[in-house]
Amino acid sequence: MAGTLLVLLTYYYNERPNGEVDPRQVGTAVAIFMLAVTIAAVAGGLWAGVAAALLASTALPLIESSGFRFPEGGGDVIAAVVFLAIAVVVGLVVGNAADERDRAARSEREARLLAYLSTKLLSGDVPDRVLDEFVQVLLEPLGLASCYVAVSLDGHEIEAKAEREGFPVGGPSEVIPIVVANIPLGTLIAERPKGRRPFSRDERVLLDAATRQVAVALDRARLDAKARLAQVDAETNQLRAAMFSSVTHDLRTPLASIKAGVTSLLDEGVIHDDRQQRELLTTILEETDRLNRLVGNILDLAKIRAGALISRRVPTAVDEVAEAVVARMRPRLTDVVVDLQLAPDLPDIPADPVQLDQVLTNLVENAARHSPAGGTIRIHATRTERAVRVRVADEGPGIHVDDREKVFEAFYRGRESPESPGSGLGLSIARAIVTAHGGRIWVEETMGGGTAMVLDMPIRETGL
Amino acid sequence: MKVLVVDDEPQIRRALRTSLEAHGYDVATVGTGDEGVVAAAEAQPDLVLLDLGLPDMDGTEVIRRIRGFSDVPVIVLSVRELMTDKVAALDAGADDYVTKPFGMEELLARARAALRRAGPDEPPQPTMRYGGLEVDLARRLVTSDGEQVHLTPTEYALLEALVTNPGKLLTHQWLLRRVWGQGYGTETTYLRTYIRTLRKKLGDEASAPALIVTEPGVGYRWIGEPS
Repeated sequence: MAGTLLVLLTYYYNERPNGEVDPRQVGTAVAIFMLAVTIAAVAGGLWAGVAAALLASTALPLIESSGFRFPEGGGDVIAAVVFLAIAVVVGLVVGNAADERDRAARSEREARLLAYLSTKLLSGDVPDRVLDEFVQVLLEPLGLASCYVAVSLDGHEIEAKAEREGFPVGGPSEVIPIVVANIPLGTLIAERPKGRRPFSRDERVLLDAATRQVAVALDRARLDAKARLAQVDAETNQLRAAMFSSVTHDLRTPLASIKAGVTSLLDEGVIHDDRQQRELLTTILEETDRLNRLVGNILDLAKIRAGALISRRVPTAVDEVAEAVVARMRPRLTDVVVDLQLAPDLPDIPADPVQLDQVLTNLVENAARHSPAGGTIRIHATRTERAVRVRVADEGPGIHVDDREKVFEAFYRGRESPESPGSGLGLSIARAIVTAHGGRIWVEETMGGGTAMVLDMPIRETGL
Repeated sequence: MKVLVVDDEPQIRRALRTSLEAHGYDVATVGTGDEGVVAAAEAQPDLVLLDLGLPDMDGTEVIRRIRGFSDVPVIVLSVRELMTDKVAALDAGADDYVTKPFGMEELLARARAALRRAGPDEPPQPTMRYGGLEVDLARRLVTSDGEQVHLTPTEYALLEALVTNPGKLLTHQWLLRRVWGQGYGTETTYLRTYIRTLRKKLGDEASAPALIVTEPGVGYRWIGEPS
């Protein structure tokens, strides 16, 4: 267009002198025409060049009218042909170069798009979200008015649709099946705006490639989900088996002692003296307490597993709870020395006081169980930057470094005390509660080789 | 002394009846909340033992209805899992709670304390003595081993609330309203600070208490043994 304009300008420039044209100026005029034709061809491509050449040819008679004579034998025709030839050659060369450049840019864009899609699709994100993004991303590079994907994944129907505003639908469309290993997973429908040209071969290839990417991603999501399910199944089964054997044993043992004690006391054929009676009754009492603790723990664990552990968080003083726990447990801590040290600057923390009480009770119970007679249980509470830290340390045999995480698993019992009276649940309940509060609990070694349970409860409210 | 047991478990009713009768109480037992309210009105018991997990009515509702016509002491029997229910029951007017399963000894101690508090035969003691600690309610004077303990008016009001309700579990809300006023109820941090100061001034050790016991998340209990 610009070229054509230039030619017109030149035309008028040459027309103005009216008649009196210097033959030397003719050469200049021809040179300007040639420049104009060339520029038109470079800027506007082949057809603009040709148009410019034709225009230039019409200007020739003007030059002739000024008295200039082309060589004999139709010089104007030769000039016109020369202009045309220049225009065509330049137009073709330039047009080809431009086409090449466009194609390179497009294939780079496509490559980028496909690369983006493949990283996005394989990111392991939820399929719904991945598909939403996928249809959105395809819109612009392919000049679509709308893009729609429907797939069926493990019986779930997932749909995603994107439309570009201001582009009326109803143009040419492509329907591409999404298939993995001969299993049809769904369909992609890409639609051009109304009245636009159909998809080119290149665009079809791109659509196909993108669709294949989606297919691969969906297949992966399907396999991932299967693998996860299998893992959960395995864990659940393992837990069930452990729970079953442990619960059976732990529930029956105290029941057996209780029943033995009671039947013995009820037996009219036997006369127990006072001391024997007391002993039997004490056993019954202890065993009912043990049974009660176990049932409580199993219920707590079941609640935690079912996601029904609800924390009622209020500003709670860790020191007050720790003191209350020690006060309540005194009767069971007669064989040990309790060293309770609570920093004076402990801030209140957002916590469920009853659950915190339960955590500390479990830790102190655990320490007491593993303490040698006369040993010291050190309960120290300090403030760290973000948490109130409670350390409950005993002088027991310690926990092997490999087992320090295992002690938080349900029904785990230390290798040195497989028959210990604990339920193997206290620490896993403690960890579940602490985690629900956004805190941490872990095992450390003490100087004397004993075990220290360390608990960090965040000072500020955290999520969950 | 007449005791009304409201519990839907026949085994518990039987065990309680046997143990309580062995200790000289007259025992009536019912299995539903409705019957419980009716029996509390008609039999006029001296003490009610109420299970919170009744099939027909929320235990808290039973307390509210009983409180509509009677000040009879109510001790709630509840399982450990339902701490919020216990607090609600106490705030609704229950006197105390015992966690199931409980030892009879514990239950009887709570029952005696509740009956003593409710008993008309006990004239208000002007001076309470707990070992070396002396609380003169008439002159609002506190001494420890003969030395005067200086308490602020709020600290004294808190101590008075505790010693005049011996053995009773006083909820945060109850104490806040009693000491600070009706507009209070959730400022547990206040209460905690005062309890801490009070303990220090009285020489009571929170981790081995002889006077004030903390029930985390619920409240405080005065356990000082009068001497």
